[in-house]
Amino acid sequence: MKITPRDRFWMNFKLYQLWRFIVLNLKILKAIDHSKRS
Amino acid sequence: MTKILIAGAGFAGHTAALYLGHYLGKEHEITVVNRFPYFGFVPSWVWVGVGHMKPEKTTIPLEPVYRRKHVRFVLGAVTEVHPDAGEQYVLVEQGEGEKKETRRLDYDYLVIATGPKLNFEATPGLGPHGGYTHSICSLPHAVQTRDAYLELVKRMEKGEQIKIVVGTGHPGATCQGAAVEYISNIHKDLVKRGLRQRADLLYLSNEPALGDFGIGGVQARYKGQLLSSEEFMAALFEDFGIRWQVRTAVKKVEPGKIVWENAEGENGETPFDFAMLIPQFKGQPIRYVGKNGNDLASKLTNAAGFVLVDGIYGLSYDVLRRNPDAWPSVYQNPDYPNIFAAGIAFAPPGPISQPLVTPNGTNITAAPPRTGMVSGIMGRLVALNIVDLVKKGRMTHSERMSEMFAACIASMGDSLWDGQAAVIVVQPVVPDRRRYPNEAGRDLFSTHMEVGTSGAWMKLLIHYTFMYKFHGWPLWRIIPE
Repeated sequence: MKITPRDRFWMNFKLYQLWRFIVLNLKILKAIDHSKRS
Repeated sequence: MTKILIAGAGFAGHTAALYLGHYLGKEHEITVVNRFPYFGFVPSWVWVGVGHMKPEKTTIPLEPVYRRKHVRFVLGAVTEVHPDAGEQYVLVEQGEGEKKETRRLDYDYLVIATGPKLNFEATPGLGPHGGYTHSICSLPHAVQTRDAYLELVKRMEKGEQIKIVVGTGHPGATCQGAAVEYISNIHKDLVKRGLRQRADLLYLSNEPALGDFGIGGVQARYKGQLLSSEEFMAALFEDFGIRWQVRTAVKKVEPGKIVWENAEGENGETPFDFAMLIPQFKGQPIRYVGKNGNDLASKLTNAAGFVLVDGIYGLSYDVLRRNPDAWPSVYQNPDYPNIFAAGIAFAPPGPISQPLVTPNGTNITAAPPRTGMVSGIMGRLVALNIVDLVKKGRMTHSERMSEMFAACIASMGDSLWDGQAAVIVVQPVVPDRRRYPNEAGRDLFSTHMEVGTSGAWMKLLIHYTFMYKFHGWPLWRIIPE
């Protein structure tokens, strides 16, 4: 793997990152739900 | 009235105190003993260490929180535990110098969540107390490190070329994630100051591979293919211009020089102007005393001073990695069932990462991380089980680290505009190759890695939501650990 200028663009592109922020939060909530959570 | 005593108010102890106060505080006696009058939000100390966050933004005074939650707070350090039936109590040392006094506190249930003793003494020349390196493992250390770093920046502004080394200072150290965050934040800070070309950054670690983090690395789907955390971190460090050297045991530190041995048995020296190296963690120096004054340490702790719980100890690495059930599920001492341990204080049954032994016999093994989220989960679990024991007489909660999910958000610059963070989600923390019969032993749907500005937003969101939770303000319980 190598970080390309294209990767760097997407890593900082705010609209895309807002989408990733939502997805990551959902992913973590899903993982919490999926986890045993005693 | 049941007396519940919690030793330590870090992630595990403070979480346990909040839950116990909520469920039992009004009818029973809950006491927290802590060496500091505040709770420290450790994950944000990487920002304190580069001068990007004020120290007071990472702390919460404990007394007002506990007053609202019907929890008694005692400032001091637990020095002795007397666990034998009949008279179960701890001795707490309070004050300093001539004002030092010892106080006895009785308990029916004891939660040991004292965090680690930072064992700088295990590596000659390590640490800020008489050594030559810095640390961000406590708030006073992070503040000291920040001051030293800002002095260094002044030297760079004058045109000096500087060598910075960040990593682990002992072959058995853990918390590599914090070192990765700290060096990445130094990189971003120097880029912003226009001084990056004046610094050579080296990440020096005991991990068997870059991106191992003491959990045996992570494999996750990235752009449709399986990517290892080693490739992921290597790409990021290459992009940042950070050099790395892993599989390395720091043997000693001399002024301006780190002496090391690597897994291949080669010895070497690395010069530095500024180094932040994480020490070995050991259990807090607590004496466990029997009824007749006999030493009970062998029943309650392992050789490093961590508290033995319901895990299976003494397994070889190869057996342990195939046996996820060897990891403790309720964090209860088998000989003293009213003693629990959570967070760094509990003794893990062994390493998650591949141990390495050099041809000269030096053991290089990244210890399992059990900080932050993992500690919080254990604190909640232990608290809920004590609530069960008090109310129903039996425990109903359990969660092994081989069942536990964790999210690690490694800050790589704190700016909301151009900061970044690597978001690493693992399910479970300890690979379970029975439940997930793939090479990684993890759920490849939930396990995830990515880097971007969204990570920096998440890191800041986590800082504020957790500070809210740890204040015990309304609806704090809906925020997950």
